[in-house]
Amino acid sequence: MFTLEKPLPRGTEDTAPFWEAALRGELRLQRCRACGHYRFPPAVLCPRCSSEGYEWASLSGKGRVFSWVVVHQSQYPAFNEDAPYNVAIVELDEGPRLHTQIVDCPLEELTIGMPVEVVFEKVREDVVLPKFRPRRRSA
Amino acid sequence: MGTACGKYAIAGVGVSRFGKVPGVSAMGFTLEASKRAVEDAGLEMRAVDGLLAVMPAAIGEQHGWAARVAAYLGLDPSFCTTLDMGGATACGAVHVAMAAIEAGYCSVVLCAFGTQTWPQGVPLQLFGSEFHLVYGDVGAICFTGFIRRRQQFEYNLPDELYGRVAVTCRAHAQRNPEAQMRKPMTLDDYFHSRWVAEPLRLFDCCPNTDGGGAIVVTSVERARDLRQPVVRIIGVGQEHRAEVIVPTGDYQELWGGTGAARRAYASAGIVAADLDCAQLYDAFTPRVVNDLVAYGIAAPEELDRAFARGEFTFGGRLPVNTAGGLLSEGHLWGFGHVREGVRQLRGECSDRQVADAKLCLVTGYGGAPHESPPTVSYSALVLGRD
Repeated sequence: MFTLEKPLPRGTEDTAPFWEAALRGELRLQRCRACGHYRFPPAVLCPRCSSEGYEWASLSGKGRVFSWVVVHQSQYPAFNEDAPYNVAIVELDEGPRLHTQIVDCPLEELTIGMPVEVVFEKVREDVVLPKFRPRRRSA
Repeated sequence: MGTACGKYAIAGVGVSRFGKVPGVSAMGFTLEASKRAVEDAGLEMRAVDGLLAVMPAAIGEQHGWAARVAAYLGLDPSFCTTLDMGGATACGAVHVAMAAIEAGYCSVVLCAFGTQTWPQGVPLQLFGSEFHLVYGDVGAICFTGFIRRRQQFEYNLPDELYGRVAVTCRAHAQRNPEAQMRKPMTLDDYFHSRWVAEPLRLFDCCPNTDGGGAIVVTSVERARDLRQPVVRIIGVGQEHRAEVIVPTGDYQELWGGTGAARRAYASAGIVAADLDCAQLYDAFTPRVVNDLVAYGIAAPEELDRAFARGEFTFGGRLPVNTAGGLLSEGHLWGFGHVREGVRQLRGECSDRQVADAKLCLVTGYGGAPHESPPTVSYSALVLGRD
């Protein structure tokens, strides 16, 4: 049986700023200068108005669980050491939805609509993955 | 779309050996299915002057795939190209075939497909975007799990509904000697099948299938001179937009393919209630739930009871996936669905023949759910007895 290591993000010209921001503990996405639309995934054009002007805007990091699955058997063997693990879609307060993982939360407590906030998980010296945890009531 | 509707026919269909068939290449399956479809039509191979081949994604980058299929078939096509809509390609290729004949590029089009899920003795390559794969968010299974979770959340759909979809397809497969999965399945068996990605169990998923399929499209006039009863293509529809889980947050439509449904029915001049049977793309059980709603066949709230009452099996309101579907007949990327629709309308399905079937809906669905943004295509055919 062949083995594969877990893949790590390798940014492109378009996407590297997202991962560089994560490395600094920031969640940033492109915001269109023309129409204000936050877009994801990163790209050279705004899908709403086709404008090329944008800024890498800092986001609140707050959102809600939109959907999730609990993977028991991954098609990617390297992840099976973590099974059962969750993969979730978080809808950010600013609109975009990120595929991510919920941490610090038992699997049976996950619910649609759960308020979450971003955390930054270092997986290698030069790689940080944005993940999300249940929001504290006081936050 | 739609001006070509009613003028063209599916004159032949065929599949290769399929199931778990190691050692046969995607090309091997493609050629095998092609020969059977052309023979089914009662044509000589050299009569084919248009070729549409499906991109075999499992192999990765395959430049000139369609031209190579043509070379292996000994063809000299005046129109030939590779199409890439995943599981939407079977219906989508028929759309393109009609357009090509309508434009005068060719007159007899072969749509051909083959896949080997373990190409070099290793599972098919996994692609995926940096925004998905790094979280262990892999392939269509996670994507479909997200969607099912939303379906159940928005409409309070019971788990039993998804089990009933699987059980219905398995019961139909028992009437199909060619089906890959024929072992009887009860709702209890469904609930005892292991989790793959909650809320999806093993029996929510179709098997991996090695094999191929092919379709011959030509004019109704020409088809009438050929071997088989004529099956007309009377309606077509497409849509290219991922449903509910698109990453923009500004598209909230839960049901995917409503646009393809609207276009298919409008071009055919029919409504869902006119259908006699339906072959709904069912790589996973939530797809059937989606299509029953998106194609206007039933409201989400009534689905569980309708399945329990047998409305979607033989003798019911609308028998679906009469050969067992991808879930139990096998996953031939929708080519099995087109073939079954055609064969129902020809009246050659013996033990699983839908009485007096005159109209059949076939749906397709596919794309890149593991890429960023997730994208899918929906395609539909309304087929009618001549």
